[in-house]
Amino acid sequence: MKRRTLILSGLGAGAALVVGWGVLPPRSRLGAADTLPVVAGEIGLNGWIKIGTDGSVRLAMHRSEMGQGVHTALAMLVAEELDVPLASVRLIPATPDKLYGNVAGFVGQLPFHPVDSEPGHETRVVKTGQWLVAKVARELGINMTGGSSTVADAWDVLRLAAATARAQLLGAASLRWKLPVGELTITDGVISHPTGTSSDFGRFAQAAAATPVSDVMVKDAKDWKLIGSKAPRIDVVAKTNGSAEFGIDVRLPNMVYAVVRHAPQLGGSPGAVDPDAALKLAGVERVVRLGPYAGSTDALAVVGRSTWHAQRGAQALQVTWQAPPAGVVSSAAIMQVLEATARAAAAGQGGLAFHGRGDAAAALGGAARRVEQVYRAPYLAHAPLEPINCTARVSGDGAARRVEVWAPTQVPGAARAIAARAAGVADEAVTVHVTYLGGGFGRRLDVDFVGQAVRVALELDGRPVQLIWPREEDIGHDFYRPAGVALMQAGLDAQGLPTALAITSAGDAITPRWMARVLPALAGPIDMPDKTTSEGLFDQLYGIPNQRIAHVATHSGVPVGYWRSVGHSHNAFFIESFIDELAHEARQDPVAFRLALLKDAPRHAAVLKLAADRGGWGKPLPAGRARGVALHESFGSIVAQVVEVSLVAGQPRVHRVVCAADVGTVVNPGIVAQQMEGGVMFGLGAALFQRIDIEASVVKQRNYPDYPMPKMIDTPRIETHLVASTRPPSGVGEPGTPPIAPALANALFALTGKRLRELPLKL
Amino acid sequence: MELSVNGQTRTLNDTAIAPEMPLLWVLRDVLNLTGTKFGCGVAACGACTVLVDGQAVRSCVTPLSAVAAKPVRTIEALGSADQPHALQAAWVAYQVPQCGYCQSGLLMAAAALLAKNPNPSDADIDATITNICRCGTTPRVRDAIKSAANALRTK
Repeated sequence: MKRRTLILSGLGAGAALVVGWGVLPPRSRLGAADTLPVVAGEIGLNGWIKIGTDGSVRLAMHRSEMGQGVHTALAMLVAEELDVPLASVRLIPATPDKLYGNVAGFVGQLPFHPVDSEPGHETRVVKTGQWLVAKVARELGINMTGGSSTVADAWDVLRLAAATARAQLLGAASLRWKLPVGELTITDGVISHPTGTSSDFGRFAQAAAATPVSDVMVKDAKDWKLIGSKAPRIDVVAKTNGSAEFGIDVRLPNMVYAVVRHAPQLGGSPGAVDPDAALKLAGVERVVRLGPYAGSTDALAVVGRSTWHAQRGAQALQVTWQAPPAGVVSSAAIMQVLEATARAAAAGQGGLAFHGRGDAAAALGGAARRVEQVYRAPYLAHAPLEPINCTARVSGDGAARRVEVWAPTQVPGAARAIAARAAGVADEAVTVHVTYLGGGFGRRLDVDFVGQAVRVALELDGRPVQLIWPREEDIGHDFYRPAGVALMQAGLDAQGLPTALAITSAGDAITPRWMARVLPALAGPIDMPDKTTSEGLFDQLYGIPNQRIAHVATHSGVPVGYWRSVGHSHNAFFIESFIDELAHEARQDPVAFRLALLKDAPRHAAVLKLAADRGGWGKPLPAGRARGVALHESFGSIVAQVVEVSLVAGQPRVHRVVCAADVGTVVNPGIVAQQMEGGVMFGLGAALFQRIDIEASVVKQRNYPDYPMPKMIDTPRIETHLVASTRPPSGVGEPGTPPIAPALANALFALTGKRLRELPLKL
Repeated sequence: MELSVNGQTRTLNDTAIAPEMPLLWVLRDVLNLTGTKFGCGVAACGACTVLVDGQAVRSCVTPLSAVAAKPVRTIEALGSADQPHALQAAWVAYQVPQCGYCQSGLLMAAAALLAKNPNPSDADIDATITNICRCGTTPRVRDAIKSAANALRTK
């Protein structure tokens, strides 16, 4: 495939259709005050910031808080530039304006190798691709919280918005007081002059809006007071007293509850339905046939006076289910097909080669010795602790019909679009209220449940309904992390050092499917490999002279979606376990072996050294314990982890994880440490316990007892150490997850001599 | 039927409220006390943990009939804004919550633990706190419980 086509596949094939937009002028990301709701006493200064006549500051919050701390981090950027206390920045919901679209998240999906895309040294192809996708992303204005992109995307935009507001306020004060602007300062939200004249922002809010400014500069890093500090999260108190409102906590007058029941089989549908047994239960009101929304399996919903009444009704329904029209699937058969696909592609130099250097085939053929292993990863469910839910109300008829939706969603614009489609109205007739998310992890990048909730609300004469999936429906009908298989091949020289690396992986591509479900207007007819299939493999920086890293995108018939760290979640396990195997083959220490291959990747080497140093690499351990290490870059951030493991009753017990990370400029080191801990625990569950098995299209796992999560007893001590950096902020929410599985597998190899090449790890 | 919640007697008039209705749904959907969460429905995750007569129970599998005449305490009454429970103060000091959804259940489970055991060891915490946190806050939960225990002992 031509490089140009590959670039476009980063945004899905749909991007190809809007290339013509490249000639349009850039869309300003500062925005205008008219994108903010008009409220008496609040003066908008741009598309992000309002100043109250009481001196308060309001920030239009466009991204979803799902635990990753972005509400705090973004408020910190604004508080820093305005010199106000963090607590005085109040969040208001952003409107659906295109201004709030994500640019960095989409540019990050481009399948470029880090060597070609190093900031300031981009190749022409990379520059063109990034420019084009940024342009398209700005024009489309898709509000998406994901891809660990929130702070990276807002970094320049919000600081500039706040710095501009600050300059306007100072300019207005200068004019009013007839004092030079250069002599005015702001401390804790108070503008003052050395002569003693002072005022809060409120007095100048109106005048500031009419004060033009030029040459606005954001603060120099040396002047930061808040950025880089462990400021307490602004959501923590509400999350310790039960008052934080998640989607499932929305309560409205006259609200009823609906519980969803899907066909047992993925892709199945309800045939004949006998609702009598359900309807005669007290508190059960009606049964609604849902149909598919944004890729969901056909389903039924039972409406009742409480969730419990509705769930009893859903269980009582007598349904003849219809099998999936496309035929049934089994995960065991899929794994065999993936392996055969990878082997065939490797033999024939097939698949889409995301990266190549030297001549891997020739070097493998001429190698003194070859190492060849197959690695496997299963399907996985997201299982966020807040079950899938959405609340909806449809009022009025015909042209007067209005839809309101309260949703824990990572994509409010897509939620609005599916709500509009379900209700047969224009997008403008829909209002989406984004609540706190009780975990997202990528599941809430899909909007199937929003369409379902609106469908039920259409039946209820204006009464609101809260639609909920019981946990069994969630685990049984997810958009799963795709299963993956990789054939890993290395050629070694006479000293056992690698001269060639060939990786041929197989698995379903996520982005084209997600586009078809969530952004159907942009989805193209082409289903090609996207970056997610090969990320973490093609873009690793080990200095092996001959490489071919290729992927075959399969069509396995299982719904797949983005799962925290996406392709990295299994690809890191494949590459970092295999590199450990190569270190063993070369009879070298795993850290020293990696460092020797990272001579041209000093940032990676620094992170690895930091983890090894703080993790006591090479120092003695108590009998029965061993260490393992892994290093992985994802979402622009580099993370290394050193794990200490022992066996308790024959099962792995992780005692300690030392995590080193280079995440660029650190906005809040407390939140970064939290996310590294969370990423480790999330990855640990997948490394130790989790798998989704599918037989005859039925998912065998049902609930947490058979899809286990690590608990307190499984929790290691986790330490995070950050590399100082002046680069712009990069991802934080996901990069902690990928290294833990290989670090643990490598530790188990050191402990037992047994090399585990399949997730979850079973000794 | 009547239910004693957070020191108040609540009368449940709706005839559709059956004795077998789980306490969780009475709290959430009838009384609108939404701080107590639904996570699994099978007593596996602990998001629904409340105190009944001072004991931690998983309200998703506790029928209303089992709590008649017993005092129920939920997260809404663990502490107050002016006087947060030592656990709530420790949760803030250690910046425990991420998404926050499981935290009510964790706090109530920890409150029951400290009421019985003022100085829990790691093994005590491992054995008693079996809640699920999908975000991975458990490393901080351990530290916060120990800190709160210490604060309560030295008060």
